[in-house]
Amino acid sequence: MRVTRSARIIAGIALLALGAAACGGQAATGGGADGDQPVRMELAEPQKLFYPGDTIETEGAEVLGALFAPLVSYNDDKQVVDNVAESIKSPDSTVWTIKLKPDYTWHNGEPLIAENYVDAWNFAANRDNAQGANSFFSRIEGWADLNPSDKKQPVLAEKMKGLKVVDERTFQVTLSKPFSQFKTMLGYVAFYPLPKAAFGEDGKVTEAYAKQPIGQGYFKMDKPYNKGTDRTIDLTRYDQFPGAKPKFDKLQFKIYSDSETAFNDLRAGALDIHDSLPPAAIASAKAELGERYIDQADAGVGYIGFPLQYNDTYSNVKIREAISMAIDRKTITETVFAGTRAPADDFINPLLDGYRPNICTVCTYDPARAKTQYVENNGPGSLELGYNTDGAHKEWIEAVANNLRANLGVEVKVKPFEKFAVVLDNLVKKDYGGMFRMGWFIDYPSVENYLTPVFSTVAITTGSNYAGWSNKEFDDLLAEGDAAGTLKEGLKYYQQADDVLIKELPYIPVFYYRTNAAYSQRIRGLKINLINLVEWNKIEKIG
Amino acid sequence: MGRYITRRLIQAIPVLLGATLLIYAVVFALPGDPIEALAGDKRIDPHIVDVLRERYHLNDPFLVQYWHYLTGLFRGDFGVTFAGVPVGEVMAGKFQVTVNLAMTALVIEAVIGIGLGLYAALRHGRAQDTLILASTLVLISIPTLVTGFVLQLLLGVRLKQAGLDLFPVAGVTGDLRGYLLPGFVLAGTSIAYLARLTRASLAETLRADYVRTAIAKGLPRRRVVGRHALRNALIPLVTYLGADLGTLMGGAVITETIFNLPGMGQQLFTSVYLREQPVVVGTVTFLVLVYILANLVVDLLYAVLDPRIRYG
Repeated sequence: MRVTRSARIIAGIALLALGAAACGGQAATGGGADGDQPVRMELAEPQKLFYPGDTIETEGAEVLGALFAPLVSYNDDKQVVDNVAESIKSPDSTVWTIKLKPDYTWHNGEPLIAENYVDAWNFAANRDNAQGANSFFSRIEGWADLNPSDKKQPVLAEKMKGLKVVDERTFQVTLSKPFSQFKTMLGYVAFYPLPKAAFGEDGKVTEAYAKQPIGQGYFKMDKPYNKGTDRTIDLTRYDQFPGAKPKFDKLQFKIYSDSETAFNDLRAGALDIHDSLPPAAIASAKAELGERYIDQADAGVGYIGFPLQYNDTYSNVKIREAISMAIDRKTITETVFAGTRAPADDFINPLLDGYRPNICTVCTYDPARAKTQYVENNGPGSLELGYNTDGAHKEWIEAVANNLRANLGVEVKVKPFEKFAVVLDNLVKKDYGGMFRMGWFIDYPSVENYLTPVFSTVAITTGSNYAGWSNKEFDDLLAEGDAAGTLKEGLKYYQQADDVLIKELPYIPVFYYRTNAAYSQRIRGLKINLINLVEWNKIEKIG
Repeated sequence: MGRYITRRLIQAIPVLLGATLLIYAVVFALPGDPIEALAGDKRIDPHIVDVLRERYHLNDPFLVQYWHYLTGLFRGDFGVTFAGVPVGEVMAGKFQVTVNLAMTALVIEAVIGIGLGLYAALRHGRAQDTLILASTLVLISIPTLVTGFVLQLLLGVRLKQAGLDLFPVAGVTGDLRGYLLPGFVLAGTSIAYLARLTRASLAETLRADYVRTAIAKGLPRRRVVGRHALRNALIPLVTYLGADLGTLMGGAVITETIFNLPGMGQQLFTSVYLREQPVVVGTVTFLVLVYILANLVVDLLYAVLDPRIRYG
């Protein structure tokens, strides 16, 4: 046989195979009249499968938020109100009795019962299940048994002592210490219930469930989600839902890897809701969309932090104040961030009830006073400012550095770290002595969540207090707020604690995050709530 | 012939093994903790991190971790991602998209690139030739990022706003239409190189003695160019296309991101970022395999184009 011919045949086959591979696997999904198109919302790829207790990021929470109904929700006055719960009562802020409304059913038809909550919370709180939201349950009595301090030690119990089913629709939660804000936590993803069907024979939530969770909310999922492969997540309205139902029957999450691309898709009519517009798209969104562009407060605060625990350079509060006054927050938020951030003037974000405008007077730009105060207190001649390059921080950090150079007349060295985790690692190991960029997003909409996890003494070891700042007065005020009888009463103490922060300035608040969203002409009535979830029953489809 | 292919494939085994070890080591050496990278801006409780580290064997020394991976590989198990999804499943999903995109780009660059080069070579030294030379130079100079966004805005958004639904802005649609624009963007630079390569190669061949002989024999021009000159001139082009296939498969991060195509390039990018060793190693090893196979096909094609080359 002549070699060339067989070579020809083999090469031909190889090409054919490649061609066949190129044409295969094409499902016909396009087409259809515009009227029966689902409402389509932008999503970045969820980090994990849908375990409610392991969802500590926004994208997974968005999907779960459409599948589940929370115990409490948040009204237009920023107040927490009962939702699935009929009542949530506590005489002493320690023992909480939660009664469910009747008529809620799971998407598989079973009724929603109190046990579903107890099962879900016990699963999420168990160390061996390695759920990301584990610490959300740490206030419940018995959590420590499920999370022994020695990692070699096996867990002492499967169930938390503090959770007790009273009857079919009532359960009782006992906290290890009073916490007046407990009710605000209950709207969060981690506190969703789980149906019996979620658990396998070994008592663990199955992977099959996490791919296609059965919820008790507005929508049910059409098919299991293949993470890494699927580019859409399709949901259908659950018609047995007892509350106010959505006014459209199909919802689709479209997964994008670039939010600018998603914005282009929205402009071209291939997407309806986009809730995370990139700064580059803001100008055209404002110009082209008009009313269909939304700009509202979001839960995050951006700070400049000091390693107070182990570096004395910044121990004088007057120097920290001077640095704060030298930062031109307004210009930075308007130019560097194109209005996707707002200047900070409190440690508490305007999103919440309890925010007080202009309470932080040293957060106002005052270069002259900054310079005088800095010089009078012998501020260091050179400063270092660290940030992580894996987020969009370079520009604003450079802007802050320029402010400090110009207004304080000091050398500022900007130090990039490749990842946020590396910054944290350096701070925990006390290797890095300069100022650093920091950010905080609340987990539940209570003022307390801007204070305890970031600035309390216990948070140095168990939370996110990277400054290592510790203040007895502050800790005591938090404890008093926790022990208060009502949400409102607690707020009073938290605001006093906030006053201590402003006086002591362990971090400098620089900006507040904003939610920048846009929607298409096919819908109206887009509302995004306090915890960044779309209120699906308010949306109307018009196209 | 059969023996030749077998030998080449056996030679590939140590290359692939070496590649896995090298890539595994490189990802291992990246700074930062993968579990913390997974958490993003939120810190996971230290005691939960411990459980996760244990689960993914992150506390073991490098060689032990590599051994776990390798033995898994021989059982056909590519490992799992930090989200608990089997790597094989993830890769299979991405592979389809990447192959579609790469083949679209390859066809576009072959047709347009060789076409332009052919035309330029036949008009050697004339105005059309100069025009093609100049325009390909421009094409080479513009980065993919720019062509990507500009074409997306002009042909995707603006056309659609004008009521002409020709190209989807982004994403995989039911048909191959969604691949046309990204395929063209991806092929852009290669079109230019290929046109220039064809032009030079063909212009040179056209001056060869045997071509003059063919013309002197009185063969029609079409046959002289198509059968005698072009066939020989194709050899460097096939080499280029073969190597380019590998590049197209692995290096489409930017295009895939702009057009929201969930291919291997993008997967590789996020996995390197998250330090997901199994995914990075799996994907890269697979790309090495594609390179090896593409090279083999190229070598076999030489024999088709030039009867003097034989493999035994």
